[in-house]
Amino acid sequence: MTTYMDIISIFILITSFALVASKKITSYIKAFRIQSALLAMALAVMGYFHFVESGRIDTLVLCALIIALKVVYFPKLLNKTYDRVEHKVEKDFFMNIPMLILLCSGIVIFVYFIISGIGSFGNEDVTMQVVNMVSVVLIGVFFMITRKKAIGQIVGFLVVENGIFGAVMFGAEGMPLIVDIGIFIDLITGILIMGLMVFKINDLFDSINTNKLRRLKG
Amino acid sequence: MGYIIIQLVLMVGLAPLINGIIKKVKAFSQKRKGAPILQMYYDIGKLLKKEMVVSETSSWIYKAAPYVVFGSTAAAALLVPAVTNAGGLNAAFSGGDVLVLLYTLALGRFFLMLAGLDTGSTFGGMGSSREGMISSLMEPSILIGLFTLGLASGSLSIKMIMSESLSKVCPIADPVYIIIFFVLVIVLLAETCRIPVDDPATHLELTMVHEAMILEYSGRQLALMELAAAVKQLILMTLIVNIFFPITAVLPAGVPGVAIMIILYIVRIVLLAVVIGVVEVCIVKLRFFSIPNLAALSFILAIIGFVNYFVIGR
Repeated sequence: MTTYMDIISIFILITSFALVASKKITSYIKAFRIQSALLAMALAVMGYFHFVESGRIDTLVLCALIIALKVVYFPKLLNKTYDRVEHKVEKDFFMNIPMLILLCSGIVIFVYFIISGIGSFGNEDVTMQVVNMVSVVLIGVFFMITRKKAIGQIVGFLVVENGIFGAVMFGAEGMPLIVDIGIFIDLITGILIMGLMVFKINDLFDSINTNKLRRLKG
Repeated sequence: MGYIIIQLVLMVGLAPLINGIIKKVKAFSQKRKGAPILQMYYDIGKLLKKEMVVSETSSWIYKAAPYVVFGSTAAAALLVPAVTNAGGLNAAFSGGDVLVLLYTLALGRFFLMLAGLDTGSTFGGMGSSREGMISSLMEPSILIGLFTLGLASGSLSIKMIMSESLSKVCPIADPVYIIIFFVLVIVLLAETCRIPVDDPATHLELTMVHEAMILEYSGRQLALMELAAAVKQLILMTLIVNIFFPITAVLPAGVPGVAIMIILYIVRIVLLAVVIGVVEVCIVKLRFFSIPNLAALSFILAIIGFVNYFVIGR
């Protein structure tokens, strides 16, 4: 099972690289969807073991929630938002893609040194998974600051959430169910509000470039 | 001695078949019947009989290049043992380093690029410049990928890397190995002029890379160039098959074991060729200036594998 989790965590890291490397809005929404599906796959196996060992079903519930929200609902919502705004292709990066990817690999190495400096987590097996997940968190933040379009920033936010959730699941076998459900409800509200904001920004400025918001300054 | 003969005959003899299989898979995907699987053997046989036409402006490099290219590729083929089990590894040349392999191949490529430039035709120069760019982009990722495998096995020798993966239960299930597997597949597609980088089926002047460099060649020299490209492809495929999908079953040493291993080797290579054909059907050719993105992706995969090797540490 450790090997399975290792492989899944590596694939989640790779999808976050695919996210940074993709040019089109639809393709990074797709990368986010694949990442969430991988997280759900990890949770399904973990939930099965929890169920067999101690009869807990909370991990399986979380797995179902992730499939419903992050694999199905959020990507659909984002695609709908994307269909209704103008300017389909995101051409304007702050840096070119190979440069972005190289910086992201720098992030992974940085996280590795930081975490190996802390020492192990009492359990040697999870160190690698936690390293990968913390890298996903930082890459998500990095993704948010390198995109100019508002949808990219929503996706970056969701990826950060995926990373934190994955780190908790891999590192500590999860939080109490009530906490996770609370986080999910916050997330839904946040994404809905951000989606509305994208419409508003688009209405007001004919574009969803966030750097045009500077015009609001007095 | 026996090893050298078996290895050379196997590599050079099998290489054109792989091209035929990949072409057949692509033809089936387009609902064509396609050329026979053995077509490349016929082509090479025909080309060997034909006379050569050599440009008057070309120098000795043009004439020497096919022999250097084929010779260096055949030498590189000796470094990658096809039969790893049943005493095959023990017979293999033990000094076969990863660096020796890569730079023996690079020697051939260097002469290929020089020959493309030598005739003074515009296509040749264009092909050489593109080949130079692609190979320099792909070199870091294959080096770091193979270095990571070397770290895992404690030696850079190809023999040791292969025997390390023989000692694992299922090497492809190892997180580090699975990443390096993807790296090597991307490198395989790029180095052998497969579709995301170059279209081997086209002679459209704006897109061709490998074909542009050998455009001026004819007759025996063209046959050697084509065969060298096919052997190079088989070398990389052998590397993938024997490192990531080894046959770990214990077989009797000696002739029967080696024969079984050769058959299993051919089966695995053919399966990999079919997979490559399907991959090539499913993806589109990249714009030339998007190739750095692909190279960056494979480089990053290699780096992640490298870092993860230290993180796991087990």
